[in-house]
Amino acid sequence: MDIKVNETPVRTSRNFRINNITINNIDIPKKLNEFKNVEIFEDKALIEKDVSQLNLAYGNGEILKENVQNEANNVLKITTNGINKQIRLIYTFDKENLNLINNIEFIINHDSNITILYKSNTNEVCFHNGIIRLIAKDNVKVNISIINMLNNNSYNFDTIDNKLESNSNVKYTIVDFGGKYSVSNYYSNIVGKNAKNDLRSIYLGIDSQIKDINYIAELKGENTDINIDVQGALKDKARKNFKGTIDFKKGCKKAKGDENEFCMLLSPEAKSIALPMLLCTEDDVEGNHSTASGKVDEKSLFYIMSRGFSENEAIKLIVRARFNKIIERIKDEKIKENILLQIDERLN
Amino acid sequence: MASKTKVEDINRNIYDIKDKDNYEFKIQKGLSREIVEEISKKKNEPEWMLDIRLKALEAYNKLELPTWGPDLSELKMDEIATYVKPKTNLNTSWDDVPEDIKNTFDRLGIPEAEKKSLAGVGAQYDSEVVYHSIKEDLIKQGVIYTDMETAVREYPEIVKEHFMKCVPITDHKFVALHAAVWSGGSFVYVPENVKLDIPLQSYFRLNSPESGQFEHTLIIVEKGASLHFIEGCSAPKYNKVNLHAGCVELYVKDDAYLRYSTIENWSKNMMNLNTKKAIVGKNAQIDWVTGSFGSKVSMLYPMSILNGEGAKTEYTGITFAGAGQNLDTGFKVIHNAPNTSSVVNSKSISKDGGACTYRALVRISEKAKGSKCSVSCESLMLDDISRSDTIPVNDIETDEVEFSHEAKIGKISDKEIFYLMSRGLSEEDAKAMIVRGFAYPVSKELPVEYAVEMNNLINIELEGSIG
Repeated sequence: MDIKVNETPVRTSRNFRINNITINNIDIPKKLNEFKNVEIFEDKALIEKDVSQLNLAYGNGEILKENVQNEANNVLKITTNGINKQIRLIYTFDKENLNLINNIEFIINHDSNITILYKSNTNEVCFHNGIIRLIAKDNVKVNISIINMLNNNSYNFDTIDNKLESNSNVKYTIVDFGGKYSVSNYYSNIVGKNAKNDLRSIYLGIDSQIKDINYIAELKGENTDINIDVQGALKDKARKNFKGTIDFKKGCKKAKGDENEFCMLLSPEAKSIALPMLLCTEDDVEGNHSTASGKVDEKSLFYIMSRGFSENEAIKLIVRARFNKIIERIKDEKIKENILLQIDERLN
Repeated sequence: MASKTKVEDINRNIYDIKDKDNYEFKIQKGLSREIVEEISKKKNEPEWMLDIRLKALEAYNKLELPTWGPDLSELKMDEIATYVKPKTNLNTSWDDVPEDIKNTFDRLGIPEAEKKSLAGVGAQYDSEVVYHSIKEDLIKQGVIYTDMETAVREYPEIVKEHFMKCVPITDHKFVALHAAVWSGGSFVYVPENVKLDIPLQSYFRLNSPESGQFEHTLIIVEKGASLHFIEGCSAPKYNKVNLHAGCVELYVKDDAYLRYSTIENWSKNMMNLNTKKAIVGKNAQIDWVTGSFGSKVSMLYPMSILNGEGAKTEYTGITFAGAGQNLDTGFKVIHNAPNTSSVVNSKSISKDGGACTYRALVRISEKAKGSKCSVSCESLMLDDISRSDTIPVNDIETDEVEFSHEAKIGKISDKEIFYLMSRGLSEEDAKAMIVRGFAYPVSKELPVEYAVEMNNLINIELEGSIG
């Protein structure tokens, strides 16, 4: 079947090729056995196998949403509180576990300080369609990392839906490397006074990979804050559509929103489209966005090559340096090493 | 008593004076094959132009309304008369223009401007151009500046080669509508290496209620030539919707230069659905300077297609939306050749519930290696009942480019007000100075008399006092 997913919150001309992405001839798996290869580590969290059936503000369209609601083979509702607690979910795809449709809900109770690590990896061609819902209650701190290391011929659909209550501080780090199609829909409902959301992500596209990234933040509470920083690199015939929306809703006085996207084009055939949107119905706010695209900086390349590195090695170093400030946010050393290794391998 | 700074709406007094709807002929409302054929017959057009009109009508009937942008549901083509012929023919002397029409243009300062600072003037009233003139020495150099109907008759080969070629009739629904019912507009031809030191100006006035204006502007600036063209437009306000769906096609050949300035001040019952495009040759340049102040709804995105190596474009625009206005404006640029460059500087001000949208496209194609593009847009919100959106698409198809885009949105900075007040300015004066400063990058690009007009348009009135 053909599906049209990842709609922007506001449409623009169809000729601009950015309102959504159409994926043709996709088989969406149904009636799956339970996905067994998941490693769950939780520190006194309550885990239930049933999630709230709340509506999504955006998401990846009706077909994929219903697929999750009706066909999920991994459902987890994780409720937690406490200081310096950790949760880890590691999905490893293998011959018996090639399709993952997961529906995950994190409820972080007030005054908690939680670190969450979510990683999926495989060398197998696989299918993933999932929803992560995160409710950050008053005064919580959440540091969450989502790492996609799927095979480059896989389908990956991520939907993330956050609600940030008063004084909450939610930091996301997203690493998006895998997938023939990797489609990410991220929405933050920043409703509580003084709530802060910080989203840093890196993507790396090679071969004919297509990344369709749609980040949406609605600032509703007073003195709320969103900071989006996206760093990417595209090689070969890879293509990326980045859609980032900061929406200042009426009443979000003193809110701030910053959005920055930088795309390194590592080959003449790589394609980058960006739509950084600012929507505003409140005057007492500060909103900024910037995007930039281009080749690797010639001066940096020359400098590194003058130290004896080949051009390819120099490019890898520059990409790693760009990505490193975001990778550093991940608390797990082994995973950090693995990400750096992946950068090297993918850019070879 | 708390201080309050009020930024007034644009002073529309001179624009809103209505003349009697005193036409020679007004076509029946709506759109049909018969209406299109009748317009063509009234103009005594050649067959080839009627063919274009009929093909465009067919395209109009097939094309959908845009699925994005402002709400156009108030626009009902059945209630719009697409052709209104005023009671006069084309004149080359202001003395011959009928008194009521001449008074309108006098109030708008057009004859005065012509005397002082223009190389030629065109004035359109409803659907027809009523006055056109050009300085003798330019005629001797081979410059042609006339109305489109005359161009169709006297320069058919040039018109055939260029008319609806830069903007194809299937571009969008309102382009198709335009091509089916177009009337009036200006034709400019500047021969090779002829450089005009002072500008040409066309002014478009729509007086008749429940009608549309569909003027066509076709400008060809030949190799090595240069031109500054100014376009102004206004209309008095009526209760029902009027429609403006003009089309501007600009051909800037190799090494040529064109500056296209527009002050758009339509009335607040106007749907302004205009289309402007330029094709730019090798080492040629087009600069757009645009002020959008009027209309109920605007959808206007001038476009530069940089087809020649080393071609350049700059866009400098300001949009000011007050109560009841939804102004969706922006700029499109296609880099289609190596080493092309573009610079975009856009500003918008929203107040009293007005909505401004900056909608844009930058496309750097695979062929455009070594190209550069820099985009900056700033939006100022003057109250919390208004709206301001920025929707730019940046489509980069090759690696050897330098592309950057930045945008800011917000209110007048408290820090800036504090700084200016610490230098002895009142809060009112400080805010007024900041708003004027915000608009300055655009006003400085306009000819002096238009900059003065723009400053008057953004008339700052101060109320209240501190303490």
